[in-house]
Amino acid sequence: MRNLPLFGARSQTLILWLIPGLRRFSSAASGGGGAGVAVKKVTRSKFEPALEDLRALVRDADFVAIDLEMTGVTSAPWRDSFEFDRSDVRYLKLKDSAEKFAVVQFGVCPFRWEPSRGSFVAHPHNFYVFPRKELPVHGPSYEFLCQTTSIDFLAKYQFDFNACIREGISYLSRAQEAEALKYLSSKYLDGLANSFCNLEEHVDIPLVRTADLFFSERMKTKFQEWRDAILKGSDKGCADKENADSNEMQFQTVFFKMRPAVFLNGFSTHQLNLIQLVVRKYFKDLVYICVVDEDNSWQRRLVYVETEEDKASFMKEVQQDLIRVEKRVESAVGFRQVVDLLASDGKLIVGHNCLLDLAHIYSKFFGPLPSSMMEFILAVHEKFPYIIDTKHLLNSSQVIQFLMKRSSKSLSSAFSLLCPKVSSVYQNSTSSTYVRFEIQADETGSSCFNSGAKHEAGYDAFMTGCVFAQACSHLGIKFEVHTPLCDLARNGKIKNYINVLYPSWNSGTVLHLNTGTESLESGYKRKYPAVIFANIVLIWGFPSKFKPKDLKDCICRVFGPDSITSIFFIDTTAALIQFSKEEFVNEILVLKDTLERVNDPISMLHPLSKLLEGGNTRAANYDTYRDICAASASKVLFADQADSLGIRWKTKLGTGSQETKEASCNETTTDITSLVEHSSEVRADSIRQFKHQISYGDILDSLNVSKSLLGKGMTST
Amino acid sequence: MAASSGKQRWAGAVKQVTKSNFAAALQQLRTDVDSADFVAISCRKTGDSVASSRRHPWHRVLPIDTPEVAYLKARLSAESYEILQFAVCPFRLRGYKVLAYPYNFHLFPRDEINLVVPSYSFSCQTSFLTSMAQEGFDFNACIYDGISYLSRVQESMVKERNLIPQIQPVSSCSSLSVADSIFMSRIRSRVVHWWNVCKESSNTIDGDLIKSLQKLISGTELYGSRPSMSISVCSDRQVQLALQTVSHIHDDIVPLVVPDKSGGPKAVRIVLTNSEADKNLLMTEIQNIENEQNLRVRGFREVIDVISSSNKPVIGYNCLHDFTFIHSKFIAPLPPTLFEFMCSLRLVFTNILDINHLSKEIGPLRKAKNLPAALSFLKGQFFVPIDIELPPKAEENSNKAIHGNNVLQITYLFAALSALLKRNPDGQLPQGQNIMPIEDYSNIFYPLCTSLQEPDDELNYLVEHAKKSSTDNLVFLWGFSHLISSKELKRELQQIHEVFTEDFELQLMDKTCAAVVFSRSGLAEALLKEMESAKFCSDALSMKTSGLRAAGYDAYRKVCMSGLWEADLADSLENIMSGSTNSLSASSEKDSSEVYRRSESTIDLSDL
Repeated sequence: MRNLPLFGARSQTLILWLIPGLRRFSSAASGGGGAGVAVKKVTRSKFEPALEDLRALVRDADFVAIDLEMTGVTSAPWRDSFEFDRSDVRYLKLKDSAEKFAVVQFGVCPFRWEPSRGSFVAHPHNFYVFPRKELPVHGPSYEFLCQTTSIDFLAKYQFDFNACIREGISYLSRAQEAEALKYLSSKYLDGLANSFCNLEEHVDIPLVRTADLFFSERMKTKFQEWRDAILKGSDKGCADKENADSNEMQFQTVFFKMRPAVFLNGFSTHQLNLIQLVVRKYFKDLVYICVVDEDNSWQRRLVYVETEEDKASFMKEVQQDLIRVEKRVESAVGFRQVVDLLASDGKLIVGHNCLLDLAHIYSKFFGPLPSSMMEFILAVHEKFPYIIDTKHLLNSSQVIQFLMKRSSKSLSSAFSLLCPKVSSVYQNSTSSTYVRFEIQADETGSSCFNSGAKHEAGYDAFMTGCVFAQACSHLGIKFEVHTPLCDLARNGKIKNYINVLYPSWNSGTVLHLNTGTESLESGYKRKYPAVIFANIVLIWGFPSKFKPKDLKDCICRVFGPDSITSIFFIDTTAALIQFSKEEFVNEILVLKDTLERVNDPISMLHPLSKLLEGGNTRAANYDTYRDICAASASKVLFADQADSLGIRWKTKLGTGSQETKEASCNETTTDITSLVEHSSEVRADSIRQFKHQISYGDILDSLNVSKSLLGKGMTST
Repeated sequence: MAASSGKQRWAGAVKQVTKSNFAAALQQLRTDVDSADFVAISCRKTGDSVASSRRHPWHRVLPIDTPEVAYLKARLSAESYEILQFAVCPFRLRGYKVLAYPYNFHLFPRDEINLVVPSYSFSCQTSFLTSMAQEGFDFNACIYDGISYLSRVQESMVKERNLIPQIQPVSSCSSLSVADSIFMSRIRSRVVHWWNVCKESSNTIDGDLIKSLQKLISGTELYGSRPSMSISVCSDRQVQLALQTVSHIHDDIVPLVVPDKSGGPKAVRIVLTNSEADKNLLMTEIQNIENEQNLRVRGFREVIDVISSSNKPVIGYNCLHDFTFIHSKFIAPLPPTLFEFMCSLRLVFTNILDINHLSKEIGPLRKAKNLPAALSFLKGQFFVPIDIELPPKAEENSNKAIHGNNVLQITYLFAALSALLKRNPDGQLPQGQNIMPIEDYSNIFYPLCTSLQEPDDELNYLVEHAKKSSTDNLVFLWGFSHLISSKELKRELQQIHEVFTEDFELQLMDKTCAAVVFSRSGLAEALLKEMESAKFCSDALSMKTSGLRAAGYDAYRKVCMSGLWEADLADSLENIMSGSTNSLSASSEKDSSEVYRRSESTIDLSDL
C-alpha cells in the first residue's frame, strides 16, 4: 500500500472540482425547489432603505446566515486543491481565488426566534454586488477574473447578470476607503494650495522650451481677454471672438460658487502646470482649482474673484466641498456597510463550507489578505467572533450523521433531508421534531421579492440557516425553553462546533478560528498515506508525451523500483514526485544538474536523459512549488506559470549545493549497498568491484550509471 | 450630418446575432461578403491594454513603446480579456454612396462540445462592462445565448477526438506485402458475402428469427435505415487497404472511417445503398452531419473564416489591438514576436487597412484619440457627403439597439477618408474609379497609445510634442525609497547628479519606477555608466536615494519579452538585471530603434 502510486488522486480531486463554482452541488433535485420562499432582491436603487431595515433585523436576530456567489473559484486548473498541497500552499490557492474573482451576489438571512409563534422568522436578502468604479481613484479591484465554467454555471441557474452589472451595489474595503479619502483630499488640497502659495515655492517648472513660452504667453493673453470681458460685463463679445478662432480651445463662461469661471478642458498635465504658473504670476484675481464633479471625474476651473476677501471666502467655500467629497467616499463604501453591520456586535454568523466565503469577505471588505493562514484566521476571528460552519457541524455530529444516513453533505441535500417540511411545500407543521420557519416578506413591496432558487445567494443563506436551526434542535437545544434566545453562541450544546471551519479541501483537517490552527478531524479515514513534503520533488517542462507511467519508469530505473512513493501530475506539464526517502530529493536534483552540465555520451545514455529531452525540464524541491503558487499570475498550464515568474535556472539545488553534492555522493553509495543487499548479494559485490575500477573524479557519473544498470537489472528480475 | 443624428439614424440598423439566429445570419453574411468591396470589423471586449485600469499601469501601450513592445502589451491583453461583441459590416463603396450590411455577433466562450474550453477564464474591467451596460447591452442574452467558438488550433485538437465517421478519399497503396494481400482478400470475401446476404435478404421473405440470425452471422448493423458492416482496422495503412478493396467490389457500397477516442482509425464502416440516387442521398446526409458538427465546433469562427476566404480588404480601427484578439481567439496562440504575428496574420487576412494609418494622411486627424473624435473632426473640417444605405430593417428589429454601431462609424470614416484621399484638387471624385490604390496603405498598423496620467487628463503631453527621441535617451529609474510624485522625484534627481540639471522629462511608470527621457543624447549612457561604476551611490548627496537603480531601454524590452508582467515594473526590471550581468550598458549599443517617432512608429509589414 505504501508504494502504491497516487495516480488515483488526480481523478478524485477532479470529481470534486469538476464544475468549479459548484461548491454545493446536489444530486438531490428535490432540495432545490425553494418554492414559495420570498427572497428580497436588493440592488443599487433600493439599497439605502433595505440597509436600514436590515439593521433592525440583524440587531434582533439570533443568528445570521450568509452565502456568496462568485465569478469563479480557480484561476487555473492547477490551482485546484490537491492532496499534495501543504496547508500553506492551500492557503495560497484560497488567497489567489479570493483576490482574483469578484463577488456578484451576497445572501444575508437573519433568523429570529419568535416565542409567541413557536417558530423562527427568517428574512432572506439577496444583494447584487458589483465592484463598480464610483470614485476617480484607481485600484486593482476594478478588474476581476471570470471563470468561464462558473459563469456558465451561474447562467444555468438563471443568474441575472444585467441586474448585477447595471444595478449591482458597489463597495470599498476599509483599506480602500482610507486610501481613497487620503488621495482625494490630498489632491483636493493640492489644487487649493497651489492657488494660495506664493511664487518662491514653485520654481520647479523652468520655462526653457520655446513652445512652453509661447503657450504661457498665449494663455496669459487669453486669460486677460476673458477677465477684461467679464469686467466690462459683456462676455458676449468675447465669446464671438473666441468662436472666430475656431481651432483654439474655447472659453465659455460658467458660474462656480456664484462667481464667473471657465473650464480648463483639453490641456495636458504639463500645460496645466504652466497655466497655474501663469495664473499665480500675473493674475491676483484668478484662482485655479481642481474639484471632483458629479460624474466622478476631475474638473479644473479658473475662477474669477473680485477682492482678496472674496478670494478668502471663496477658498473657504471650496474647502467645505471637501466634506462633500468625504460624503461621497462614504456613500461609495456601499455594500460594505452590510458587512460592517454583520461584524458590529458579535452576531453568530452561519455559513455552509464558508472558508472561501470568509476569504472573499475579508479581501473585499476589510483589506488585503494576510500572507499566512494563521494570520488570516485570527484576523477573521477578530472581525467575526462567532462563526458556525454547517458543513463541519453536519460532518462531526454523530446524531446528525445518523439522521443524514451518511448521504451527500451538500447544502441542498442536507436541507431536503433535515428540513423536509420547509423544502417541500411550505406549511405550518406542528410536528415537534421539526423546527418551524416562517419567512417574513414585509410590507407591500412584492416587486422586489423573488421566489428563491438553488444557487441564489439569498436562498442558499436561508437554507443554511434552516439546516443550522434544525441541527441545533437535533443536538438538544430546545428553542421553546431557552427564551429569550439571546445567547445561542454561548450555548454549551453547540460550543464544540463554534469557530471550527471545514476547509474546502479534502485534507481531513478542521480549522480552529480562535487559535488559528489546523488540526486533524476526528474520525477521518485517510485514503492515502500522509504526504511527506520533504520527500517531494517538483518537475515541470518535460516532454508533453510523458505520461505518469513513463515518468515512474524513468525514475525507477535510476533510483530503484521502491524509490517512488507516489507521483502526482499537476497538469500535463508538471508533476510532483514523492520519494520514499528524503535524500532522493537532493540526489535527483544533483544528478539532473550534472547530466545537464556534462554533455558526454554516457550522460546521453543515462535513463534520466529521456526526461530531460527538449531541454526545458526543470526540477526543484517543494518550496518552489509553493513559490510558484504564491505568484499572482495565472497561466493555464503550470509550466507557463513557472516561466512567467522569470525562472531561468533548470535545477534548483538545495542549500549549500556543493556540500550536498558530497553528502549525496556518500549517501548514494550506502544507499545502493543497502538496496543491493536487499536484492542479492552477488550484485552488491559486482557493484563494489565496479566502484574500484573507475577513477575517483567521475565518481558521481559512474555511480549514476551503475545505479541505472542496477535499476535495469532489478526491473528485469 | 452630425454624429448625433447618425446615431439616431443607425439605431436598430445593425442585425443582432445570437446562437438562435446564427446559422441563418451566417448564410446571409456569406452572400453579403461575397458581393462587398470591403469588410469593416470592430469588437467590444471585457478590457483593453489601451485604457487599462488594472493593477499595473505600465501594462498600457505607452508613447515610449516601440512597435515590438506595443505588440507584446497588446498580446498580454488579448490573452487576458474576452470579446463579447464582434461587429462585421461588409459594404460596397460607390463614390459617396455606401451600401452597408452590418451584423453584430454576441459571443461567449462557452464549452459547447465538452472537449476544449475556448478560454478557461478571462478578466473583466468593470469600466468596460459599465459602459456596455449604459448602452443597454443585455449581458444575460450574451451569456445565456452568446455564440461560442474555437480557434483553428483548438479545432484541430478537437478534430483528433472527433468521433463522427467520415468519408476518406481512396489512395492506392503502391507496394503490397504478402500480409497486405491476405488482409485484403479476407476483407473482400467478408464484404462480398455480406453484400450477397443483404441483397438476398431484401428479396426473400423470412421469419424474424432467421433475419436476426442472418444479421448476427453476417455482422450487419444499421446505419440510419441502411444496412452496414464494420471492419476493424488497426492502422492507417489498413484503412487504405480496406477502402481500396471495398471500392473494387461494388459501386453501391459507401465506406466510412470511424475514428477511435485518440483520433486514430478504429474501423471502416461500409454502408449499402439501394441505388445511385440513394448513394447521393447518403453522401449529402453525411456531408450535412459534418457541416452541422463543424458549425457547432467552430461556432463564431465560421464568420472569421468567411471573411478570411473572401480575400476582401478588412477595415479596422486600432488594428493592432483588434487583430491580436482575433488571432489569439480564432486562429492560434499569439507568437512571441511582432514579425511572426504579422506573418501569421497575413496568411489569414491578406489585406488589412488600419483607419489610424489612413487618417495619418490627413494631418490633424491623427490627434484624434478615438473613433467619435475622429468622426467629429472630419465632419467639422471637410465636406464629405457620405450616404450610408442600410438594408431595410426587419420587423422584429423594432428595438433601437445601438450595439455594433462602431462598425458603421468605421465604415463611414473609411468611406469619407477614401473619398478625401482620392479627390482631385478640384474637389471632384475621379470617374470610373471606385477603389483607391489601397495597396499603399494595407497591412500597416498604427498602434494607439495612451498616457500614464490619470484618464482625467484629456490629452497626452508626449503625443503633442511628438518629438523624435531615441530609445538611447531613455533611462528607467527605480529604488526610490518611498512613494513620491513625479514632481518631487524630479526635484530630488536634480540635486543628485549633474546630468539631471539638463533638460529631461520624467514619467512615473507605476508607483515603483520612473522613465526619464533626456533631450540631449549621450546623457543616458553617461548616467548608466556612472551608476555602474558605483561611484554614484557613494555620493554623499544621494543618501536619500541610496537604493536607486537604473537600466536602459533594453532591460525594459526584455521585461516585456520574457513576460514578467505580474509585478511592479521595478521588480521585473530587477529580475531581468539580475539575470544578465552587463545589461546596463548593453542597452545603448544594440538596437537603438527610435520611439516617439509618431510618423514612423507604425508597423509596416512590407518593410519586414
